[in-house]
Amino acid sequence: MLSLSADITESDIDLQLINGDESASAGDIEHGHLLMRFADAFVKRDEAALAIAREQLHQAAGVAVLVDAAGVAANFQRMVRIADATGIPLDESSAALSYSVGQALDLERFESAKNTPHGGLKRRVLSWIARPLAKRMFKKIQREHA
Amino acid sequence: MAHDYEDCPYPVRTGLKDAHRNYWQVLAEPGTWFTGAERVAIAAEVRNALVCPFCAERKLALSPNAVAGEHHCGTTLDPLLVDAVHRVITDQSRITRSYVEDNAANGFTQEQYVELLGIAVTVLSIDEFNRALGLPPEPLPMPCTGEPSHYRPSQAASGTGFVAMIPPGGATGSESDLWAKGRTANVLRALTLVPNAMREWRAVGEEQYISFQDMARFSDIPGRSINRMQIELVAGRVSSHNECFY
Repeated sequence: MLSLSADITESDIDLQLINGDESASAGDIEHGHLLMRFADAFVKRDEAALAIAREQLHQAAGVAVLVDAAGVAANFQRMVRIADATGIPLDESSAALSYSVGQALDLERFESAKNTPHGGLKRRVLSWIARPLAKRMFKKIQREHA
Repeated sequence: MAHDYEDCPYPVRTGLKDAHRNYWQVLAEPGTWFTGAERVAIAAEVRNALVCPFCAERKLALSPNAVAGEHHCGTTLDPLLVDAVHRVITDQSRITRSYVEDNAANGFTQEQYVELLGIAVTVLSIDEFNRALGLPPEPLPMPCTGEPSHYRPSQAASGTGFVAMIPPGGATGSESDLWAKGRTANVLRALTLVPNAMREWRAVGEEQYISFQDMARFSDIPGRSINRMQIELVAGRVSSHNECFY
């Protein structure tokens, strides 16, 4: 979703930030590194680092940003457990849309990838078609919302 | 009042307070397959799982079945239920179809598993919100009396994951509020064997993350102080560490 958001808003970002790479550029994401550090300390349950990251984010971005970031981080502790504990595969349309990102971040290494069949050439071809189409459709929606 | 966040140094927006407070209320009430007391006990086991030495040892083992032991348990729940809560919280990526089927063969039904899973993950996400802000978890609610409804949607079918769920075209009748005209995803269908389990986590998720209606917005999200890329950066970092392929 980050990659798609960046594509649609024509923003710049290095996706390795998702893997916790401090040297990766946050590009056009305001407070990108602070948000990444906050999420990183949170999910690693490093309470000392979390207290520091929380205060840094608060000081730099304000309380509303901190609270919203806390909500998102908490939400994604739930979603992975729903997916893994019910053994659902990634939907084929999402798999096609996220094919290139999955390759770039090597998501197949995750245990939970076992629930999604390999798409092979068919998925790769679909991804070439689906991504530009989705980008065009979502851009149209953005314009309507604006 | 629960979740008023009065002692929180960071003002919490009303939508989040209300979502967390409403969930605490339904948590205490009789559910679909569990009584209010059982639902609150499942919530208590979420917290026990996070400090369970056996879970920590099992997480490090090559296979979850390679180690034997007893969970740090503070409730009178059936051991199969306790184990399920602890696995969902501490080792969910190694839950398999055979684990769910073996439980069913021992009387812990798919329907109960789905309701238990819904409670476990929703309580965890609310507790985790508090932890993210440096707050202690909220005291659990007092259970209400009454009997579970035993409602099972007739259109639920097996075939997607480890449990039966409502098919994309099955959000009709009493379940017409689940999604519009087949516009769904497997993660939304995952808990629909117990439709209220899905409704309950969705209500919390729409405040913690974004609503279904805003899912197609990729810049600013109404009512949020972070834009979509900031939201997805936080979501992505948490999911990556949790090894979420989905």
